[in-house]
Amino acid sequence: MTDHKLPVVYNAEKAAPDAEKAAPDSMSRRGFVKKAGGVSATSLLGTAALMTNTDDAQANTEWAEWFQGNYRLMSQEEKAEAVARLERRYSAEYDKKVTVDSTPAEKGVLFGYALNIQKCIGCRRCAKACVEENNQSRGDQEIEWIRVLKMEKGDFDASKMSEGYPDSYGIQVGGNAYSASGVVLEGEHYYEPEKVPEEDAFYMPIQCMQCEKPPCVKVCPVRTTYREPDGIVVVDYNWCIGCRMCIGACPYWARRFNWGEPKLPKEDMNPKTHYLGNRPRMKGVVEKCTFCVQRTRHGRYPACVEVCPVGARKFGNLLDPDSEIRRVLATKKVFRLKAEANTYPKFFYYMD
Amino acid sequence: MQMNKRTLTNMIVKESKIVAIFCLLILSIPSAAFAEDKVCFEGREGASTVTQRDIGEELKNVRCSDTTDAVLWWGDPFDGTQPMGDMPIEADYTHGEAVVKPRTEQLGLYAVCGIACHNGTFPPPVEADAPPRTLTMHTDLVPDALNLQHGNGGIWCLDCHDAKTRNKFVDNAGNLIDFNEPQQLCGKCHGQVYRDWREGMHGKRIGEWASTGKKRWFVCTECHNPHDVQQGERKSGFAQLAPEPAPQLPKGMDNADHERHGSGH
Amino acid sequence: MKKLMSFVVDYWVYVLKGGPKFYAWLGFLCIFVIGWTYGNFMQLSEGMIVTGLTDQVSWGLYLANFVFLVGVAAGAVTVVFPAYVYKHEALHDVTVLGEMLAIAAVVMCMLFVLNHMGRPDRLWHMLPLIGIYNFPGSMLAWDVIVLCGYLVLNIVGGFYYLYKKYSGEPLNKGFYMPVIYIAIVWALSIHTVTAFLINTMPARPMWHHGMMPIRFISTAFAAGPALIIIVFTIVRDNTKFWIKDEAIDLLSQIVVWCLGIALFLTLSEVVTEFYHPTEHSLGLQYLILGHNGLSALVPWFWFSIIAMVTSFILLLIPSIRKDHKKLPYICALTFAGIWVEKGMGLIIPGSIPTPIGEFTQYTPSLIEIFNSLGNWAIGFIVLTLLLKGAIGILLGEVKYANE
Repeated sequence: MTDHKLPVVYNAEKAAPDAEKAAPDSMSRRGFVKKAGGVSATSLLGTAALMTNTDDAQANTEWAEWFQGNYRLMSQEEKAEAVARLERRYSAEYDKKVTVDSTPAEKGVLFGYALNIQKCIGCRRCAKACVEENNQSRGDQEIEWIRVLKMEKGDFDASKMSEGYPDSYGIQVGGNAYSASGVVLEGEHYYEPEKVPEEDAFYMPIQCMQCEKPPCVKVCPVRTTYREPDGIVVVDYNWCIGCRMCIGACPYWARRFNWGEPKLPKEDMNPKTHYLGNRPRMKGVVEKCTFCVQRTRHGRYPACVEVCPVGARKFGNLLDPDSEIRRVLATKKVFRLKAEANTYPKFFYYMD
Repeated sequence: MQMNKRTLTNMIVKESKIVAIFCLLILSIPSAAFAEDKVCFEGREGASTVTQRDIGEELKNVRCSDTTDAVLWWGDPFDGTQPMGDMPIEADYTHGEAVVKPRTEQLGLYAVCGIACHNGTFPPPVEADAPPRTLTMHTDLVPDALNLQHGNGGIWCLDCHDAKTRNKFVDNAGNLIDFNEPQQLCGKCHGQVYRDWREGMHGKRIGEWASTGKKRWFVCTECHNPHDVQQGERKSGFAQLAPEPAPQLPKGMDNADHERHGSGH
Repeated sequence: MKKLMSFVVDYWVYVLKGGPKFYAWLGFLCIFVIGWTYGNFMQLSEGMIVTGLTDQVSWGLYLANFVFLVGVAAGAVTVVFPAYVYKHEALHDVTVLGEMLAIAAVVMCMLFVLNHMGRPDRLWHMLPLIGIYNFPGSMLAWDVIVLCGYLVLNIVGGFYYLYKKYSGEPLNKGFYMPVIYIAIVWALSIHTVTAFLINTMPARPMWHHGMMPIRFISTAFAAGPALIIIVFTIVRDNTKFWIKDEAIDLLSQIVVWCLGIALFLTLSEVVTEFYHPTEHSLGLQYLILGHNGLSALVPWFWFSIIAMVTSFILLLIPSIRKDHKKLPYICALTFAGIWVEKGMGLIIPGSIPTPIGEFTQYTPSLIEIFNSLGNWAIGFIVLTLLLKGAIGILLGEVKYANE
């Protein structure tokens, strides 16, 4: 249970990241750039600038980004430097003031999620809200992190009572009177009815389960994807080499790849970003759901929770017995998708 | 706004022209002022709308779906809200701040209700125990009052609406309930759901996830249509709505016909 | 040092000098390199969007070729192992040719991995010290170690042997033999680890079984020597270097037995998955029968089965197996069959359906095909040059002139 006071309105600017709090006030971001010594990204940036003999700020930024280390292993100074560099680049690129947050995980918080599968009507607003929030690529290179499956309710057919197989000697080994549905692999991904919910269907949204034992993290050859202390699995987009081992390893098909340069129109860009979350990605890297880290680290619900018109999505701190998520786990009938995969998802499905 | 206009057209035909013109004038002011703004809906189409506007820092109050006009994203979850007020919070399940969006702003006829209409003299008031009858007014909301799609034939208008003070609901003891607190009314029958709602398990909240955080609670009528809660054959409390478009088909696929398998396709 | 310098110079002078046939062959391969250059330019500038890959099928032709070629590289051990462990004389004479083939195959593997990477510019992130090398956690990290190690072992072993031949000095057995024995075990490890790369993923039930490494090795030891037989035949027909019949006969026996084992393992898998099909059998079902009208892989599978069964039956007949005129063609059929079985037939259906049940089709794009052909062409250029140099030294045409 945290008695931490949360900011009233979600705002990355107001709630200064700990990285900056920890640094002396006199050390501005420009100060960091000047003071970072040794073979730091800055000096390499200088070298690169000399090598390429260009004044192009964009190119310099890209060089510096190229040389930067793994986010998790950066010092506070390096993080602040990387964040400032990104803010400059994004603000120029998207024609608006973009903030890149680096707030670390809060102590005593372990994020968990529950989805009422009985309530879900399959409207896909969660999938679209996610795109609005998380700056995914649009248009003909659309990326969605949430996939909603339509499940038919199975079929019983009295007229096929005696149509068994194989029925030599009149002995039925099996029958055809009942065709099952509702298993994951029979879901429809591209249903498009006029209205949802349809009569003989239920729906099952699937997204990153933020596993406690994530197979995707295990296989990463460069440790660019890892579990944060608050339980979310993140990707350092600048460190990813694009080998897609993690995509192969994920049992929930929760990871997406930027096959081309992402297409994010300026007017659609959400300027409140987090380094490990919804900041614009580049081509050739993997991305995934972070439970909207840019929001949740400032107290705000994830976008998909807020948009769900039937309130099927619940989110909160698993360590707080008073949280909505803990109440759901305590009082409802809960299951986890592919529990047999031993991934310990922190995303639960439940029924009333 | 369109729906309001349709409501008013009905009124003009059937009832006092003077009242109707008066109402039309009142109602047309906001619709004229924001004629160019995008109007989206949150939970119920036509009954929980919000107008898109800038809230600074390059953000809008809401972002909406291009295809369904549904609100997809809140820039400020507390935009247009007020404290929940005298909502009794009996248990210690929440310590946070609860806010709601006033329902009355969504009700087209609320402005005139109790002033121009149902003001004690016009139209002539009815007794609380009057027998159910067919309605001549408000048939857009309740097409057939004798077959009200709520309560399986067990209730009608005056079980919820106060007979005298029509801009209020009424509880079992005869106390008046504000239109902004429909949960107090609904809770008198739907106790289990009401308890789940209070504990944050039924219904929807936006804002901050912490149990101590500030949340906007969606009240009953923001999602459910009390006059058509049965939805006919569907027997479902939630109206069907248009889904957002399907995801993009992956490269190499022209259609998803292979998915149509099993029964019924 | 002077000796070493003259080795390098003599070697390259010999390797790059050849007749019209030699240049025609290299020129032919260079045509593919032109397509490769274009393909790589497009892929590097536009991103992997120019491939046929999707989030649903994110591993495709590149990785399929990679997996297959690791097998070919490992297959080179079928020359080294009998030569040194069973003292097979005919093979002992040509061990170094097997090593040269392994080098070329590993080079191709690396080219395919580079093509598969979304950010090849960031590969330095894998370098220990300046990057993070997730060892031993990541199977890919293991694979990088075993592949690089195998490349080094073969370069060291092969060129040490050639250098000693060139200079006419005796081999230092204390150095050379350990390299050879390590390389033999290492060859098994590269293919085992590559199998582990994909079969350690419970998310992909088609791959997630313990039979995968032995299937990999059995197919590798069929495809590898099949290619070596073809190469040896070409060498015999086009150079003064004569590879003994016994060498080819032993290799063709290895091919037939390993092919038999591979077919048996395929049969076991099919029976296991089809007797009572579960959700986990859907990938194999899609491969063999298709799914609701999606059947892109079905012809590939049946081609590979027919190719493998036909060549197995033909190779079982001694008179055909020992007919060195017919043998290379049967070996080509084996090679093609296994290429499909282990490439398109294994990597693609591992992704179809996706872990949450979406069926899609994958068709490699032209760019992918250009790049793949180019990688093969570069591999064959490397192989040609390596073999030419090695044969020149074995023939004594290149040797240290001490005056």
